[in-house]
Amino acid sequence: MKNEFLKQISTYFPSVDYCSFRFVNKYTNIVSVTRNVLEPIEILEDEGVMATIIHNGGYGYGASSDLTPDGILKAIEEAKKWAEYSSGKLVHVPHPPSMRIDDGKYFTHEKDSWAKESNKDKVDYLMQINKSLKSKPTISNWGASFRYNKIETLFTDTNGSDIRQNISYILPQLVACAEYKKQIQTRTFGGHAHARQIGYNFLRDSDLITKAEQIANDAIELSMAPNCPDSKMDALIAPDQMILQIHESIGHPLELDRILGDERNYAGSSFVNLDMFGEYKYGSDKLNISFNPNQESELATYNYDDDGTAATKKYLIKDGILERPIGGFYSSQRVNQDYVACSRATSWNRPPIDRMGNINLEPGESSFSEMIASVEDGIFLETNNSWSIDDYRNKFQFGCEKGTIIKNGELKSVTKNPNYRGITKEFWHNLSMVGDETSFSILGTANCGKGEPNQTIFVGHATPPCLFREIDIFGGE
Amino acid sequence: MRDYFENIAQKLFKHIQKDEFLILNFDAEISNFVRLNKAKIRQPGNVKQISMSLSLSNRDKRNLKSYVRLNGSFDKDLSTLIKTLNYLRRELPDLPKDPYLLFSKSVQSTEVSDDKKYINDEENLDYILPRIASLDLVGIYSSGYIYTGLANSLGQFNWHSDYSFSFDYSIYNENNNAIKLNYSSKKWNNEEFETNLDQGIKKLKILSQSPRTIPKGEYTVYLEPSALNEIIDMMSWGGFSYKANKIGTSPLHLLSKGEKSLHASVSIDENIKGGISANFSSDGFIKPDVINMIKDGEFTESLTSPRSSLEYSVAHNASSISEYPYSIDMTAGAIDDDTILSTINNGLYISNLWYLNFSDRNNARMTGLTRFGCFVVENGQLTAPINTMRFDDSVYSMLGENLIGLTSNRELLIDSGTYEERSTSSARLPGAIVDNFKMTL
Repeated sequence: MKNEFLKQISTYFPSVDYCSFRFVNKYTNIVSVTRNVLEPIEILEDEGVMATIIHNGGYGYGASSDLTPDGILKAIEEAKKWAEYSSGKLVHVPHPPSMRIDDGKYFTHEKDSWAKESNKDKVDYLMQINKSLKSKPTISNWGASFRYNKIETLFTDTNGSDIRQNISYILPQLVACAEYKKQIQTRTFGGHAHARQIGYNFLRDSDLITKAEQIANDAIELSMAPNCPDSKMDALIAPDQMILQIHESIGHPLELDRILGDERNYAGSSFVNLDMFGEYKYGSDKLNISFNPNQESELATYNYDDDGTAATKKYLIKDGILERPIGGFYSSQRVNQDYVACSRATSWNRPPIDRMGNINLEPGESSFSEMIASVEDGIFLETNNSWSIDDYRNKFQFGCEKGTIIKNGELKSVTKNPNYRGITKEFWHNLSMVGDETSFSILGTANCGKGEPNQTIFVGHATPPCLFREIDIFGGE
Repeated sequence: MRDYFENIAQKLFKHIQKDEFLILNFDAEISNFVRLNKAKIRQPGNVKQISMSLSLSNRDKRNLKSYVRLNGSFDKDLSTLIKTLNYLRRELPDLPKDPYLLFSKSVQSTEVSDDKKYINDEENLDYILPRIASLDLVGIYSSGYIYTGLANSLGQFNWHSDYSFSFDYSIYNENNNAIKLNYSSKKWNNEEFETNLDQGIKKLKILSQSPRTIPKGEYTVYLEPSALNEIIDMMSWGGFSYKANKIGTSPLHLLSKGEKSLHASVSIDENIKGGISANFSSDGFIKPDVINMIKDGEFTESLTSPRSSLEYSVAHNASSISEYPYSIDMTAGAIDDDTILSTINNGLYISNLWYLNFSDRNNARMTGLTRFGCFVVENGQLTAPINTMRFDDSVYSMLGENLIGLTSNRELLIDSGTYEERSTSSARLPGAIVDNFKMTL
C-alpha cells in the first residue's frame, strides 16, 4: 500500500525547482489506571501529507489530512501559492539538495510488540502496579500509565529519493503522592525521562511493581523529611535530572535557528553566537556532548531527518570546547556551518525546524561510589520536577523530587523540595567528575516544545550521573 | 463543514446497536501560518486538518474512545469511521467497567457560528511587510477557520465555528532588547494595526538606553496583564481543579481548604460566555456562562468534571477532564493607568514574565524570568531597561499580603498557542502592582 502511495504521489510532482512530499502516519495509545480505576483508554490515529516547494527564490508548504488525489493537489497548490508569494521576501532562500536517496530505511526494533499485548493484559499489569503504589495508608494519590507511539514517515522528492522510517517508543509513568501534616510530596518514575525506542518487553523487564513500591516509600519518607537546606555545596546529579540540565542549558542554546533569531518571539534566543564555534570553552575538560542519532534504543535514533538528511554521530562539544551547532541542512546554508541531521517536524502538519535529536553527555571514568566518596558537603539530586531558564538560556533554576545529603563521602538523610540555580556559562565549568559506562543511562523526553506554529517533539538524552562543585542549593518554604 | 459533520454523524448513528451510546467530537482547522524573522518571511504555508473522536459505551458502563484523522471525503471517511466503531465494539467486552463514566443524557443542542471571512492574508502581508521593513521584527501571522462539533446518538448536536487572525510578534533593538506585541481580531483594520505597532515602537525607544543589571532583592513592581497572565496560568496547573485540590497536588490546595487567602480585591472567574472557546464539553454537557472560582480573595468553586463528580459525589460544572480554565476573567481594580508609575514611584515595570514553574508547589511558590519590555522606575518615571532577572515568590505574597492593587483597565489576551491546532483559550486581566516582589538571580 505504501509503495502504491509513493508511486501515486510521485505522479503529482509539479513543474518547480524542487518539491518534496512527507507523509506521516502517527498512532498513539495511552492506557492509564489511576487510584485502581481504568481511565478512558486513548487511541489516536493521525495521518496526512506535507508538500514543500522551493521555486524561483520562494518557499512554501501545504499540509493536509485529505489524502485523496484532490486533497493532495490542493496541498500542492497551497505550497505553490506560498512559494510564489514569498519569492524575493524570504529571510533566506533555501538551496535544495541535488542528491537522490535510494531506499533509505529505518525501523525501531520492538522485541515484543506493543500490539501483541492485549488491552486487558496491559490493564491487569497497571492494576498490579497501582496496588504496589498504594502500599501504605499515607499514600494520598497514585497512578500508572503506559504510552505507546508509532510514527511512520515516507519521504520522496523531485530528486527521486525514497525514505521510509518507522519509529516507535514506549513511555511508562508511575506516580505516588504522600501527605503528612497537609504537605504533599510526589515521587515519580518514567514521566519526563524514561521514554525509549523499545518493545513492550521493556515494561516487563523494568520490574515496575518493585519500582512502584520504591517510589511509594520514597514519597512517604519525603513527606516527613525536612526542607532542603539553603547552602553552596557540591551537587551529584542523577541521570534523570541530568537530562533536563543537558536539554535546557546545552541542547536549546546550541540550536542554530535560535542563534539566527527565528525563535525570538517564542522559545527564545541563545547566549551562544556564531563566533564561539571552534573556540568557546563551554565547560570543563570533562564535558563531551554528542549529537548521536545512532545510539540503539534511544528516543531520537533514526537514519534520516525530515528534510531527508542522512544522520550520523557528531560532537557538539569536545573536551569542553564548542565545536558545532544543532543546525540542519537548510539552516547551515544561512551561516556556512557544518550541519547535523536535526531538521525535524512534530508531524505532517508542521514544517521541519532545527530540533535536538539524541543529545548525549559521553561517559567519563568515575564510578558512582568514587563520586560519592569525593564529596565532603553535598547533595545527591534525583528526578526533575521543575524547570525554568531564561530566553538566552543563561539563568536557570531546576527543582528535583528527592535530595539526599552527602557528608564526608557518605549518603545521609533525605530532604524535600531540593532546588538549585545557576548560570549556564559558569555551571558547566564546575563539572568535576563524570560517571563511567556502567552508570550511562539511555533516557528521553517525549514533549519538547518549540517553533511557530508550535510543535512538540521527542528527544533523547543519554548520560551518566555527574558531579558539580559549589552549586547554589535551596529548599522550599 | 457543519453539514459534512452533521450528515456523516447521522449515517454513523445508523450503525449503533441496541444499548450502545456513541459520542462524536469533531475538530477541524484550515489555517495559514506565515512565520517571520528580521521582518522577512521565514516559513509560510497552509494546514488543513479534520479529525473526529468516537466514544462508544454500553449499558455495562464500559467505554472506549478512538480519535481518527479524516480526509473530508464523505464516503472514504464514513468507511474509516465504521471500521473504527467496529474495533471499539470488539474491544469493549474485555475492558473493566468504568465507575466514573458520565455523559450528558439530556439533549441540549447549541450552535454558535461566527466564521465569516473578512480578511485576505496576502493583502494584509502586503500591508505589513513594507511597514516593518526597517524593524528587526520576528513572529507569526496566522489566520483561518476553527470548527468544533459534538453529536451523540441521542440526537444532541452542538456546533461552534470561528474565523479569526492573530499577528503575534516582537520588535528588537540593536541591544537585543525587545517589545512583545499582539494584534488579534476577526476583521483586519490597518489603523488598529498601525496603533499597535506604533505603541511598540515608542516603548522600544525607551529600551534603547543602556540596560541596567539590578541587584537581587525585593522590589515594588507593576505586572502588565500579560505578565500577570503567566502567574495566573501557573495557578491554573491544577489550582482550580476539584480533583487536584482533593488529592492535594493543586498549588492552591491550601487556598481551597480555607487555610490561606488572597487579597480581598482578587476575584477570578471562568467566563465561557465572555471568551472564545466552545460552550460544550466533550461529554456533551453545556458549560455554565460563568463560574466564580475565587471571590474577594477566597476560593469559592472548583472546576469539576463529570468524572470527578462521580468519584467524589459532588455536582459537576461541565469542566473538561483536565479541569483547566479556558476563559479566565479577573475582576478589575481601582488603579488608573496614568497613576501606575507614580504608585510604584521607585521599582520595576514588568511587561512580560517567562518560563514559570514551581519552586514549592505546596505553598504556591513559583519562579520565572523577566522578558520583553522590563524597566527600572525611578521617581515615577521609566528610566532604563533591565537585564533579565529571575523571581521566586509565592502567590499568597504576590496576590495576597503584598498586592497593592489592580488596575481599572483590563486587557483581553487571546492565547496565540498553536500546538496541534490554534488555541481558543483567553484571559481578561487587569495589571497588578505588587510590593516586596522577590528577585533572586
